Parts: sequence; structure tokens; C-alpha cells
Amino acid sequence: MAKVLEKAEQTELMDCLLDMGQMLLECGAEISRVEDTLSRMAKAYGCIRVDVFVITSIISLSLEFPREEALTETRRIYSSGGTDYIRLENLNHISRSCCMEPPSVAELRERLKQTSSEEKPFFMFLLGSILAAGAFSVFFGGSLLDGLAAAIFAIGICFLQNRLGDTQITPAGGNLFLSFVTGLAVGIVCQVIPGLHMDKILIGDIMLMIPGLAMTNAVRNMLGGNTISGLVRLTESLIWAAALAGGFMTAILIIDLLL
Amino acid sequence: MRGTIVQLTAAFLGSLGFSLLFRLHRRHLLLASIGGMLTWGVYLLLYHMLPGDFLANLTASAFAVTFAEISAHWRKCPATLFLVPAIIPLVPGSSLYYTMNYAVQNDLASARIYGHKTLVAALAIAAGISFVTVFHELRTRK
Repeated sequence: MAKVLEKAEQTELMDCLLDMGQMLLECGAEISRVEDTLSRMAKAYGCIRVDVFVITSIISLSLEFPREEALTETRRIYSSGGTDYIRLENLNHISRSCCMEPPSVAELRERLKQTSSEEKPFFMFLLGSILAAGAFSVFFGGSLLDGLAAAIFAIGICFLQNRLGDTQITPAGGNLFLSFVTGLAVGIVCQVIPGLHMDKILIGDIMLMIPGLAMTNAVRNMLGGNTISGLVRLTESLIWAAALAGGFMTAILIIDLLL
Repeated sequence: MRGTIVQLTAAFLGSLGFSLLFRLHRRHLLLASIGGMLTWGVYLLLYHMLPGDFLANLTASAFAVTFAEISAHWRKCPATLFLVPAIIPLVPGSSLYYTMNYAVQNDLASARIYGHKTLVAALAIAAGISFVTVFHELRTRK
């Protein structure tokens, strides 16, 4: 059984758990996983009662230690929908080992710090985007040349996405802009170079922006009983998809009008 | 036959691309990409045997979840890691595009056909995921 924590350690644990939950949400974990992880870890540290409520934009956590008043904190989560599976796996590993044998709170803090300091390298993102766009363009019936074109456009999309990520622009606005620019660029290039299929190239590049993952997660959240989060994600992803459609279609209409 | 091989290869590479994009650990890359390829294989097989798109999509997505759960159990990591790369080839990107395309060109009849296809695929994927999730819960929660 875990030893009873000092008062200072209790607040530090609270902070660690909120950090943990935030990182889990931000690297693509389902809501039920976040709730489950936090309550298991808190119990491993000797809490007699844990109440945790997580939706995509907030974590609320109450911890009650023996013979103490309950601590309650909330944390607002602003970023949404990133995915980083190495971090998810590391966090999962930390939680597993905590549940088996909890390290001191200071050590937990240290391990969380280590995990959060690891950044997602840009070239991997770039390589993945190039490969995915090229492959899906061919997958949906494009020629090898179309695949190549989609892959080249993916490079531009990656840099733009990276740039947009540094700003305050909402995902919907970003998607609208990104798809408009991509649609225009692909349309113009297809007019200049004969033999390219505009639709197949765009489909390959759409796969990079389509919120397919968000939708899958939304459904899984709802099935897992987290209806609110599921609905929030689903609504978000439908809005992103609509923005995507709006951007591409405006670009296509402009190209059709001009030529 | 040649088309099938091209599609399976493209599914493999596409899943690999997304695994890289989501920063999956190197030791899972091959398994995750194989998952995407197999899911598409299941879909293609059933597409020719079953009437309509719905059942083929449903079975393929159920397969993807099963594959992800088994792989996750084997590699001792969350199932999400394998589920997303496996399910990516089923995402109806192409019919979504043509729906939008015909809608702005005022060809509403074609837009409706493709819109229907997109919706059916999305529903079937969701249904496939839920079936397996329920079975999995029934089996593990005593």
C-alpha cells in the first residue's frame, strides 16, 4: 500500500495528474482513456476517492486523501486534435508503472518533464504527408504521375500547416484557407501540365486534411459513454469538413470561370 | 488483378504515411501498415461477394478494430495506435470529394449518389467499430 503523502506532495500530485491528462488529450488519447488513467494513478497514490471528468476542452479532477479535505482543480485545454503516438505510448507506460509501483511524486514529475520535452520532428511529419498524399492519390485511381504531383503538393501543405499552427487561426479558418490555396495551385498546375488529373491529385491531398481521425475518435468516445466529448468532436470535424469543402469548391469554381 | 495489387500496395504505403505523420514508434510501423493493407484486402474481397457497400465497409472496419486490439495486446500498447492506420483506407475521401464537386457544378443527381455513398461508408465504419467494441467489452469485463 502506498504511503500517505504530505500536503505539499498532494498538491504536486494534483498538478502532475493534470499535466498528464492534458498531454494525453493533446496527443490523441480517447476521453475514456484519460479518465481511466487519472483515476487509476490517483488511487495508486493512496486517494480514497477520485472524481474525474474530462471533455475535449476541460479536465476537472477531485482527489480525496484519507483524513483530508478533498482537493479540486480544473484545467482548460485549448489545443485540440494533435496526434503523437510515441508520446501516447510513453505516457501509457508511465501510468502502467505507476499503478504497479508508484514512484515518488518528484520522480513522477521528472518523468513527465522528460516526456513533454520530446518534440515531434518536422521531417517525419513531412515524410508521412508526402507518402500518404502520393499513395492515396494512386489508391483512389490516379496514375503514378498524379501520385507524384500529390506528393509534391503535400510538401507545400505541410509547410503551410506548420505556419498556420503557430498562429491564432482556428482549425476551421485554417482549413478553409489551406484547401483554397491547394485547390488553386493544383488547378493551375493541371492546366499547364497536360495528363494530370486534378480530381485524383486533390483527393490524395484531401486525405491529409480530412478529419477522419477526429471522426473515428468521436464515434469511439460516444460509444465509450462520453457523449458530450463525442458530440463536440463530431461537430468540430463536420465544421472542418465543411470548411475544407468550401475552400476547394471556391478554388475549383474560380478555375472553371477563368478557363 | 493488377489493379488489386496496385490498390493494396497503395493502401500499405498510405497507412505507412499516416503512421509516420502521427509519429508511431518505429517498431510498430510495419505491423500498422500491414493492418491498413489487410483491411483494404478484406473490403475488396467482400465488395465483390456482397451486395452494396455497407456490409463490406462494416466488416472491413470490424476487421480493423479486431486487428488493432490483437496487435495492441501483443505489443502492450493502446489500441488507437493500430486502429487509425488500419482504418484510414476506408475513409471515404474520394466520394466526399465528388459529392462536393458535383454539388458546386449543380449536378445534384450525381452529388446525391456520391453523398449517399459517403454517408453509408461513414455509418458502416462506425457500426463496425461499435460491434467489435461491444464484443470486446463483453469478453473482458466479467
